[in-house]
Amino acid sequence: MGVDDLPMDDKAKRMRDLLSSFYSPDPSISPSPDSPSARPQQITLDDINSTSFDPDHYMNFLVEKSNLEGLLQRHVEMAAEIKNLDTDLQMLVYENYNKFISATDTIKRMKTNIVGMESNMEGLLEKIMSVQSRSDGVNTLLFEKREHIEKLHRTYNLLRKVQFIFDLPVRLGKCIKSEAYADAVRFYIGAMPIFKAYGDSSFQDCKQASEEAMAIIIKNLQGKLFSDSESIQARAEAAVLLKQLDFPVESLKARLLEKLAQSLADLQLKTKELSNASVDSKDSSKEESIPCSAPAAAHEASVREFAEALRAYCVIFPDSENQLVKLAQDLVTKHFETTGEYVKERICSAELLRVLRVIWKDVLLMDEVLHEAALPDYSLEAAKVAVKQYVASRFSHLLHDISDALTKVHGRQKDGGKEYSLQVVLETSKKAVLQGSMDVLLDFRQILEDNLELLVNLKDLIIDLVQEGFQDFFRALDDHFLLLSGRNISPSQDQGLTEGTQGDKAFAGLVLVLAQLSVFIEQTAIPRITEEIAASFSGGGVRGYENGPAFVPGEICRIFRSAGEKFLNLYIKMRTQRISLLLKKRFTTPNWIKHKEPREVHMFVDLFLQELGAIGHEVKQILPQGLRRHRRNDSNGSTASSRSNPLREEKLTQSNTQRARSQLLETHLAKLFKQKVEIFTKVEYTQESVVSTIVKLSLKSLQEFVRLQTFNRSGFQQIQLDIQFLRTPLKETVEDEAAVDFLLDEVIVGASERCLDPIPLEPPILDKLIQAKLAKTRDQIPSAS
Amino acid sequence: MQGGSSGIGYGLKYQARCISDVKADTDHTSFITGTLSLKEENEVHLIRVSSGGTELICEGLFSHPNEIWDLASCPFDQRIFSTVYSSGESYGAAIWQIPELYGELNSPQLERITSLDAHVGKIKCILWWPSGRHDKLISIDEETLFLWSLDCSKKTAQVQSKESVGMLHNLSGGAWDPHDVNAVAATYESAIQVWDLRTMKKTNSIERGHVRNIDYNPKKKHILVTAEDESGISIWDLRKPKVPIQELPGHTHWTWAVKCNPEYDRLILSAGTDSNVNLWLASSSSSDDITSESLVDSPTQRLNPLLNSYSDYEDSVYGLAWSVREPWIFASLSYDGRVVVETVKPFLSRK
Repeated sequence: MGVDDLPMDDKAKRMRDLLSSFYSPDPSISPSPDSPSARPQQITLDDINSTSFDPDHYMNFLVEKSNLEGLLQRHVEMAAEIKNLDTDLQMLVYENYNKFISATDTIKRMKTNIVGMESNMEGLLEKIMSVQSRSDGVNTLLFEKREHIEKLHRTYNLLRKVQFIFDLPVRLGKCIKSEAYADAVRFYIGAMPIFKAYGDSSFQDCKQASEEAMAIIIKNLQGKLFSDSESIQARAEAAVLLKQLDFPVESLKARLLEKLAQSLADLQLKTKELSNASVDSKDSSKEESIPCSAPAAAHEASVREFAEALRAYCVIFPDSENQLVKLAQDLVTKHFETTGEYVKERICSAELLRVLRVIWKDVLLMDEVLHEAALPDYSLEAAKVAVKQYVASRFSHLLHDISDALTKVHGRQKDGGKEYSLQVVLETSKKAVLQGSMDVLLDFRQILEDNLELLVNLKDLIIDLVQEGFQDFFRALDDHFLLLSGRNISPSQDQGLTEGTQGDKAFAGLVLVLAQLSVFIEQTAIPRITEEIAASFSGGGVRGYENGPAFVPGEICRIFRSAGEKFLNLYIKMRTQRISLLLKKRFTTPNWIKHKEPREVHMFVDLFLQELGAIGHEVKQILPQGLRRHRRNDSNGSTASSRSNPLREEKLTQSNTQRARSQLLETHLAKLFKQKVEIFTKVEYTQESVVSTIVKLSLKSLQEFVRLQTFNRSGFQQIQLDIQFLRTPLKETVEDEAAVDFLLDEVIVGASERCLDPIPLEPPILDKLIQAKLAKTRDQIPSAS
Repeated sequence: MQGGSSGIGYGLKYQARCISDVKADTDHTSFITGTLSLKEENEVHLIRVSSGGTELICEGLFSHPNEIWDLASCPFDQRIFSTVYSSGESYGAAIWQIPELYGELNSPQLERITSLDAHVGKIKCILWWPSGRHDKLISIDEETLFLWSLDCSKKTAQVQSKESVGMLHNLSGGAWDPHDVNAVAATYESAIQVWDLRTMKKTNSIERGHVRNIDYNPKKKHILVTAEDESGISIWDLRKPKVPIQELPGHTHWTWAVKCNPEYDRLILSAGTDSNVNLWLASSSSSDDITSESLVDSPTQRLNPLLNSYSDYEDSVYGLAWSVREPWIFASLSYDGRVVVETVKPFLSRK
């Protein structure tokens, strides 16, 4: 088929080409062959079809190129082609001839059809002409009459208008009477153009009268607009009418809005009353189960009114929405401002909730009317701020409470009242911290558990706020503690020993209280609060998880642990500083090199012991007892004193004097064999540890002071006597006897080294002097008490 | 932190309080120290750190007539030094010259250049201007501050000016500003005061009691370090004398001596009566802007300022001196007469 197809196609195509070349005027525009398969043949064969075909050349070409067989074949081919072309040509001629014949037939038929048409057309024209002439006649006949009628009609209209205008005042009056202001306005507006054109001449009276009437109408309309008793519909109508009358409605609107704003201010006052009232009612009507008290109800009514007004204005002035929105937002803002003020005072969460609830109710009321104001969102934002403020103020109050608890007693003491006790301060402040924190948490939980829609949305925020609040609170508390301890340090230091005694003492106590309080916070308060927070304030997550929870108890614990140590060390430092001062006075004042023979134990010993007693008193109030102390107390009994054990004393004295007598080398040797006594150990939060640390530090200071002096024999003996006297009471107060013994010995050794003639007192004399001193103290005690 | 066995020791025969770096000796790292013995014959030891830094060699041993309470080496002549001494009751101060040694060690006599004998009270210390050759000398006793004009060749010292501060203020020591030849800081019972030597008037004062020792930072102007009995170490900026710019906790008991490193301006060394020597690193921004919070934060600073605590001592450490020649070496002297020379090199890299 395909083989067959190709030559067939080829053939038809060539025929078409030939035909078209035949018909076309320009033989050069013969269609070029498009099938590529034909192209190679084209060069030789197609030339035969072109006009520039040269038969001789072609012949030569063929003869040259092909052999006889080829030529013969070519001849056969050509003959066939020529035959084909011949038949094609015949076919074409025949077809075209046929078409020509049918065309001639059609033309002949048309000719016969047209022949009768012309006469018909001429008749028609005639008829139309006659119709036209007749109608022209009728027209001319009726023209005059028509003109007359038209004139009459115009006059009638004019007359009617004049009549209307003359009647206008009366009609307007009627309208006023019947309050049909809409009609009146319509009439007046209708007459308006005439008044404008002829108002100054013919219809002056008329115009005046009607204008008077209109003035009344306008007044009435305004009245209507302003009167709250009218229905909103009526007021809206009045506004529309006024607008139609070109009355300056904008100013009216402004006045109305002003009025509304004023009523807003009134509303504001009511809010305040309400909050005040709620404070009052808290005391008076605590058991009242009705949540809405009387002022609240009143407030609600007024807000409802306001909302109604908003609705009305919305309808009356459709274009005033923006202003209304602003007004409503103003109201909410003011509400929250008041809340903010209110929050600054000391209020509990229930009160805040009450206020917020009222506000939310208002907001919902207004939202119904003025949805575009997006009041809930707006108030949500404001509530965020308010809650934040509340949390902040709550914490600042708590801080204030605690610092009050700490300083009040301190202040009272400064005024001269003697019966203050550090214990009370500690207990109060402990309570202030723990109870206060718990109260705060309880409060916040109340807020959190409330199902007020406003707050439900803020739940996460509140949780975060509370956590953050605690974190910041404890940091602030630490800072505050530092301030408390730091503020008083400079003045007390500058004061002399005697002047500063009172203030100093109280202050040192305060530092000790702070130390113990820090420990309490770290060990008791923080875990409790953490527990509480975990129970009811977990979640949050507004901050994002990568930041972790806002409240980091570990960090706070660390802060307070270090603060506690700091305060404890500060306390010890302050106490030893005072003792150092005492010792410094003792050692720098006399001329040791010309010291007189010791007659009695020097009074600085009393002062020293007195200081220690004061420290012991303070410490006993604040710090817990250590275990070792307890055991010692039991074993020692209550009546143990230096006198009850003279033998042991003597032995000690002897050994000491011997050591004092020994030379430097010997002491060095002795030191070598003696285990190095750990003098400075870490301070613990126990009575004994603190006291013994202070004693040890003081004795070390004593040693250092001694080393700076040069003594004669009597000076040395004085030191020996004083130290010997100190030995017993110190050992009673201090848990680490070995260290105290060592240090006391060191003092005597130091003194002997710095003595030109170190001959110690004989033990009997030493004992005698000590006994004398003891006896004297005993005498003083009963006389004092 | 504990231990510090890297130090090399040297024993004096008697108790001692003071040690000084021999600044003028540029060939060796040497220290000079004197004993404090009431009854025995006192000695001055010139000690040199051996070239390998492994031992201390006694370079010279001289007898000194009285117990030495203060000793300072002349910053421009390695053979000259000053001592403050007492003989039980009375105090004296003198400038000494070490005699030429020629290799012998058998206690030749020190040559006394001159005595500073205008004092009546307890002499506290003698100050040389630390930054180089200067013919002036300051001596401080309890009540008076003397400015001497020293002529070593003529062997004379004359009082150029003096100022009495009165009975009430007990002068306890002082330091000469290495940045300003006319400024000297003196410590009182209740304050530190800076004096202008030209007018002998107070120019500045810091209200701070119980200052044991004071040292100017040789690298930074206006910076002063003080050691206090109980309050540890304070670093001051003289332009802001109200509050210290930094406070370091100091020692368990008193902080007795404090010395700024001559080369690394943040390194501070302190010696205490708790038988420890502590090496501190002051905060870097010690000149400005941390005044307020440093008061609150200093004890809880994130970076512990204490670099190391050398605790290899048997008794209170009173003497402390950096070597100028090798600024990573310091010598310390405890009361029992033990000199320990340590290097702080391991801590320099941490800066």
